[in-house]
Amino acid sequence: MQKPKSNQASVGSVQCENTTLNLLKVNDFVAKAIRDRLPNILVINVCSSPGSGKTTLMQETGKRLKGKLNMAVLVGDPETERDAIRMRDVGINALQIVTGGMCHIEAQMIFQALDHIDLTGTDVLFIENVGNLVCPAAFDLGEDYRVTVLACTEGDDKPKKYPRMFLTSELLIVSKSDLLPYVPFSVEAVTKDARDVNPDIEVLSISSLKGDGMAAWCDWLTERVYAKKEKTSEKVM
Amino acid sequence: MHEISLVRNIFRTLEEEFPNDMQRVRGIYLKAGLLSNVQPILMQNAFQAVLEDQPKYNKTSLHVEVLSILIQCDLCGQTSEVEQYRFVCSHCGRPSRNVIQGEELLISKVEFE
Repeated sequence: MQKPKSNQASVGSVQCENTTLNLLKVNDFVAKAIRDRLPNILVINVCSSPGSGKTTLMQETGKRLKGKLNMAVLVGDPETERDAIRMRDVGINALQIVTGGMCHIEAQMIFQALDHIDLTGTDVLFIENVGNLVCPAAFDLGEDYRVTVLACTEGDDKPKKYPRMFLTSELLIVSKSDLLPYVPFSVEAVTKDARDVNPDIEVLSISSLKGDGMAAWCDWLTERVYAKKEKTSEKVM
Repeated sequence: MHEISLVRNIFRTLEEEFPNDMQRVRGIYLKAGLLSNVQPILMQNAFQAVLEDQPKYNKTSLHVEVLSILIQCDLCGQTSEVEQYRFVCSHCGRPSRNVIQGEELLISKVEFE
């Protein structure tokens, strides 16, 4: 790190030091180490509120990718191993990160978890973040892409309420789309608000249970898995 | 959000940077961008809580400055402030994600006795 410049100017008996010390520098340093450690695996940080259907989306994604791509999931929750068990039930390689009440996952937790999960042959690693649209937005976990899941039952006003999450995501998944006819949620309105915050964000409507939009989601993933492998092999050559 | 852990990070960062001068630290100045989701009053509460835990630092005070969100347009090059979380250049109306201020969480100044 660059040494802070000292102006040594005294204010009364007080001497000042001007600095640019980043409070999240430890996290960002570890996030980089994660990127260096996983050059061939696409890493996706999945964020949302509790109950938006992240785990169900992971389960259904696993079923659809079977035989095409190998996936693994690190799943964070304040308590219990339930989500990892749900995923293992459908044959997905999953490891639970119990955050002990903490509202987000930090890069250090991912780095440590990598020692406890066998990623041999894995093409895509999902990090299912703690359900929370605020805190996880501030922590880089070494991911290639951040995907925010928003269930249509939560309301289409969320991008403006939780701007940083939408600002830092590449893809917005509107989940539970089979319920769209029954709730006052406009995909058009949420897309407009999300793009006010982040003009580049892509939007996909998905019903994990009925299957709508799952093919487009799997294509989105597959494309990026191969793009990353290609980029890495170019670097090696 | 998680202000206690942020305050602990402040002291950890300073202990690393100024290992021999910690006892002389009197003022810590933070710059927190609006996008860092840091609430000054909660930071102060957390700061007091950490001081109670670590009385050796109880002569220290915290000053938090919240910074607005600024973007620089890729097309016209002008800088504008983001209002209502609309990331649009106020000069030419083009959307922009080029945030030049508002995401930071920095210790900008340290005062020593």
